[in-house]
Amino acid sequence: MTTVTTLRGARLVDYTRSTARSHQFPGFGDRVMSFLREPSDSRCLVVVDRGYMMRQQASHVVRDHLNLTGTNPLVGPNDPCGERFPSVNDVYITDLCPDLPRGVAAGLMAGVFPTREEMEFLRSLGADFCCYNLVPTMIVAAHAGLKVLGLVVPEGVHVDPVLDVVLGS
Amino acid sequence: MTEALARSANDAVDFLRQVSKAVPKAAVVLGSGVKVLEDVVEDTFSYDQVFGMSPSIVGHAGSLSLGRVDGQLVAVLRGRFHLYEGHSWDVVTLPTRVLAEWGVPYLFLTNAAGGLNPKFKVGDLMLLKGYRDHLNPRWKQSGLVPALMLPPTDCQNDLTRHVWKVGERLASEDAAFRPLRTGIYAGLLGPSYETLAEIEMLKRLGADAVGMSTVPELETVIGTQTKAAAISVVTNVWSEESKIEGHEEVLREAKAASVRLDKLFRASIASLP
Repeated sequence: MTTVTTLRGARLVDYTRSTARSHQFPGFGDRVMSFLREPSDSRCLVVVDRGYMMRQQASHVVRDHLNLTGTNPLVGPNDPCGERFPSVNDVYITDLCPDLPRGVAAGLMAGVFPTREEMEFLRSLGADFCCYNLVPTMIVAAHAGLKVLGLVVPEGVHVDPVLDVVLGS
Repeated sequence: MTEALARSANDAVDFLRQVSKAVPKAAVVLGSGVKVLEDVVEDTFSYDQVFGMSPSIVGHAGSLSLGRVDGQLVAVLRGRFHLYEGHSWDVVTLPTRVLAEWGVPYLFLTNAAGGLNPKFKVGDLMLLKGYRDHLNPRWKQSGLVPALMLPPTDCQNDLTRHVWKVGERLASEDAAFRPLRTGIYAGLLGPSYETLAEIEMLKRLGADAVGMSTVPELETVIGTQTKAAAISVVTNVWSEESKIEGHEEVLREAKAASVRLDKLFRASIASLP
């Protein structure tokens, strides 16, 4: 379940848990898009997603991504909140949590589980781990003019200590 | 969307047969801001008239003109339908299907592309020897991983060899005409530009240039009598230091290279077999 809320003024989209206080819905979709496009004073988004096929079972800060979903959430008439051809570079915030390792996320289509050979191939192309919701979320956020802190946590790890570390600083 | 308004390829061919007794020897499809063969405007029809619908972006006017280049009848298509606008594969490939069904033997495709090959400079022209299809709607069913594992599709033929020779000749006669480049074009869906990590990935996959079009057209002419040659105008060069400027920059750089492309097309059409 997905949590959409604000945290210290920044938008937070958390795909790793649900809480009673927030709107709840499965994965990336129209509701996340509307949330990211709502006018707000904050130009920051914190997005938390599960990471798979990690070499190092630790929470990572996303420093870049490969969109391997086979689609793009901006396909269709351009939403006037951003440009037709947005640059999605220089959007990730990577200097907030120096203690966490950084990595490149391969954004996969929901339901796709790479084989070990495929994952080796993706690593040879620059990917460090896979996730399912972060990349489309990030593209919509970048289009809407937001900077993005992308946190990817391995299965079984609760995100709270990570967020405490990041946002406590 | 307005896809339902699109004509069938048959109806569009009927329309063209009514307005032109002869089948053009060649057709030229122009991408973002590429301005060539500007005097070919004798008979101009809007995409609305020909195809029943028009594209929807600055820099893509959407018109089909019939005229003469060195005595040869030529169709010039300014603008195209893109997948990133939300158009279906059928609509995106409609103009190419129409040209093939009409019996146009030679098709020239152009696009504005980002240079990945470190030897490329802004304003270079790259003749495609192959392409990577990362934009096909079929990847919606599987994600892109299977696409990454495929080798590039070869697109060399008699027409590409002809254009290459003409390019060599022009470069030898005229110092201002930069020698043509050749390479692999990666067609991405867009509309967001590539990330630096994606650029690195595409380089490792052997791509020399990256853009958001042309692959549907090249896929469409396979198995038809129409031979296609595609040329990328390199409008920016990717490196860690240089960041992309946006669509207006693309339009400006495309304009400068258009002069060379115009020469190449005129000379190629004039000497078609």
